[in-house]
Amino acid sequence: MTSEALPFRRASEVAGDAIVVEGLTKEFRGTKAVDEVSLRVRRGCFFGFLGPNGAGKSTTIKMLTGMLRPTAGTASIEGWSIEEDRLAIKRVIGVLPEELPLYERLSGEEYLQFAGRMYGLGRESTKQRCDELLEFLSLAEDRGKLIVDYSLGMKKKLALAAALIHNPRVLFLDEPLNGIDPVSSRVVSDLLKSLARKGVTLFVTSHVLDVVERLCDEVAIIDRGRVIAQGTVDELRDRRSHGEDSSLEDAFLRLVAADVERRDLDWIG
Amino acid sequence: MRERAVGLVLALPGLVLFGALGALIAYFGIRAASVHRPELLLPLISIAATGFGLFWVLSPVLAGVAFSETHDVDRLLHFPVPVHVLVVSSLLANLTQPMVLAEIPLVLATAAATAAGRPAAFLPCLVAVVLSMLFVLAAAQLAGLALQSAARNRRLQDVALFAGLVVSFVLGLAPLLILLTGAGALGPTLRRVLELDLFALSPFSWGVRAAVHAGRGEVAAAVTLGLAAAAATGVALAAASVLIERMHRGEMSLGPPAGARSRPARMLSGGPLGALLEKDLRVAWREPALKASLLLGLLGPLIFLIFLLQLGPRARSGGGILLLASLVGLSSFGANAFGLERRGIALLLAFPVERWRILAAKNLAGLAFRAPGLLTLLVAAPLVAPAAFVIPALCIAAITLALAAAMDNYASILFPVAVPAPGRSPHAASSGARGFGAAALGAVLLAGALAVSAPFVLLIWLPPLLEAPWLWGVAVPLALLGAGAAYAMLVGGAARLLERREPELAARILGEA
Repeated sequence: MTSEALPFRRASEVAGDAIVVEGLTKEFRGTKAVDEVSLRVRRGCFFGFLGPNGAGKSTTIKMLTGMLRPTAGTASIEGWSIEEDRLAIKRVIGVLPEELPLYERLSGEEYLQFAGRMYGLGRESTKQRCDELLEFLSLAEDRGKLIVDYSLGMKKKLALAAALIHNPRVLFLDEPLNGIDPVSSRVVSDLLKSLARKGVTLFVTSHVLDVVERLCDEVAIIDRGRVIAQGTVDELRDRRSHGEDSSLEDAFLRLVAADVERRDLDWIG
Repeated sequence: MRERAVGLVLALPGLVLFGALGALIAYFGIRAASVHRPELLLPLISIAATGFGLFWVLSPVLAGVAFSETHDVDRLLHFPVPVHVLVVSSLLANLTQPMVLAEIPLVLATAAATAAGRPAAFLPCLVAVVLSMLFVLAAAQLAGLALQSAARNRRLQDVALFAGLVVSFVLGLAPLLILLTGAGALGPTLRRVLELDLFALSPFSWGVRAAVHAGRGEVAAAVTLGLAAAAATGVALAAASVLIERMHRGEMSLGPPAGARSRPARMLSGGPLGALLEKDLRVAWREPALKASLLLGLLGPLIFLIFLLQLGPRARSGGGILLLASLVGLSSFGANAFGLERRGIALLLAFPVERWRILAAKNLAGLAFRAPGLLTLLVAAPLVAPAAFVIPALCIAAITLALAAAMDNYASILFPVAVPAPGRSPHAASSGARGFGAAALGAVLLAGALAVSAPFVLLIWLPPLLEAPWLWGVAVPLALLGAGAAYAMLVGGAARLLERREPELAARILGEA
C-alpha cells in the first residue's frame, strides 16, 4: 500500500462503497468511448452494467481492472486507486473478461492450478479449491483436456472458476452467462447470488435483461459512453413506466431510444 | 489494410529481385544445357520443374502457415454458386497473388529459352509453360484443401505443423551438411536419375517438357504433353471440387476425434515464479511452432561449429569456443516474451504478482528454450578446445544469456509484437511500420547487451590472454557475481517500466492478437 493511497482508502471504507468511479473517461483517437462515467457500488451489491453494443461497458471494466489507462477521471476498488495501487487491486478482484484470454495449451486443471499459484495460494488449498470448482461447474470429467479442445461454454466456466479461486472481494464479470447451457446458467446464477449474499461485490455486464432483472440489486445503463440512468431495478422500471406493467427491457429500450418505429422491409416475405 | 499495403510495398523489391534472379538462372541454365548437353535438357528441366512445384505446394507447411487460411473456399459454400465455379474462381484469384505475379519473369524466361531464338516457337512454348504453372497452382489448391481438412482435427494439425517445420529445418541444413560431407556421394545417384529420366513421370514437368518439344519443332510430342498437363490440371480441379463438397458435408474429418480424453496433468512447481516458468514451458512444448523454435536455436551454433571445424587445428586454441559461447548467449535476445502471450497478456497482467518475478520467469523460460544451443556448446567444447576451456565457455554463455535476456525485457515491453495463434499465418503479425521501430530499438539494445556483458566476458578471456589459466579461479566467480548484480539491476529497471506501461502493453498486444 502506498502512503498516498491511505486517506482515499479510509474515506471510501467509511462510505461502505466497494467501487467508486468519478468522471472516468477514455478517448480513442479523439472519440470518447467512455465519457465522464461516475458510479458508486456498495459492498455486497449485485450491480448490473447495461448498454447496447459499443456503449462502453467493456472499456469501463478494462479501466477498472487496470487493463486500460483512463484518459481522465479516477476510480477506486475497495479503497485502492486504479492508477496507484494496481497490484493491490488485483489481489482483491476476480475478472471474467468477455474475450476469455485463456492459455489454450494448458489443460483445464493445469490452468486452475496455475491461477491458484499466481494468486499466492498454497499447494494444498489450490488443489482442494481446484477440485471443488471443477466438480461444481461440471468440468471434472474434462479436467485433463487441453483448453483449446473445450467448447465456448466450458471455457467460460473455467475462466469463471479461475476468477473465483482466490476468493475475491469484488468480481467483474463481462457477459458471464453468454454461451453457457441452461443448466450451467442456473448453477452459475445461483453461485453468483450466494456470493453477493456473502458480501462479495459483483459488477456484471449482460445483454440478457431478464437475467439482470432477476439477479441484480442495482443497475446502471450506459449509452454512447455516458451513464444515462442508475438505480435499483424497480426504480428504473417505475421511472420509465407508462402506467402498464413495464419490464426492465422496456425501460432499457426507452432509455437508449431503441424502440423507435422502423420501416418494414417490403421486399421480404 | 494500410499495413498490408505497406507490407506489400516493402516486399515488392524483394519479389522483383528474386523473380529477376530466377528468370536469369532459368534462361541461361536452359540455354547452356541446350547447347552443351542437349540430351540432358529434358531430364534436368523435369527435375527443376518438379522441385519448384513440390516446394510451392508444400510451402504453407514448411513455413508453419495455417492450413485454414491457405484456401478457404469453405466460407463461400452457402452461396448458390456451383462448387466447380468456386474452385476455378479460386484458381484464377490465385493468379493475381503477388507471389504468382512475381513468377511472370520466370515463365517468360523459360518460354524464351525453350523457344531457342525462334520467334514463331515462343507463343506455343509460353502456352506450355503457363500450363505447367497452372498445374502447380491447382496442385497447391488441392494440397491446401487436404491440409484444411487435416486442420479440422487439432491434434493432427499440431503434428503436421511440427513435422513440416522439422522438414523445413532439415532442408535448410541440407546444403550445409552436403558441403561438410562433400557432394561425392550424391554424384552417382544423380547420374542414374538423369539417365532414367525418372521425373518425366511427374505431372509438374509435363508442361515444360511440352515447351522444350515445341522449341525443337516436335509438334506431336509438344501437343501430347501439353494436353497431358491440361488434363492433370483438370483432374486436380475436379479432385478439389470433390474435396470441398465432402468437407462441407462433414465427411472429411481426418484423424481421431478432437475430444479424445487426455490423462490429467498437474502443475508441479510451487510459487508464482515456478508456476510462470512451468506454464511457459508446457505451452511452448504443446505449440508446434514454438516447439520447432527449439530447433532454430541449434542453427547458429551448428553453423559456427562447422566453420570452426573447417579451420582445422589453429582454431582449437580455445578462443573459438569462447566466441561460440558468446554467440549462444546473445541468441537469447529477441525473445518477444510478451508478444508470445498473445491474448493471454490480459490474464498474465491481471495476476497480483510482482513484475520482476514475471520478467525473471520469462527470462528463465527463454534460457530453457536455448538449451539446445547450450548442449551443442557442451558437446562441442571438448572437440574444439582444451578441456580447461569448458567451464569458462559455459560461464560466458550463462553471462551473455542472462544479460541479453535482461536487456531484451525492455524491447519486449516497449515494442511487443503479438505472435499469430497456432494455425494462423505467421505473416498475420500486423506490426506494420512499428516493426522498424522494434528493429531499431532491438539493434540499440543488442549493442547495449554487448556493452554490458563485455567487462565480464573480458574478465574470463583475461587468463588465456595472460597465459595464466590459474587466474580463472578468481576471474570466473568475479565475473559471475558482477553479471548477477548487473542482471538484477536491469530486471529491476524493466519491472518499473512494466508497472508504468502495463495498460499500453496490454492494449497493444490485445489490439494485434
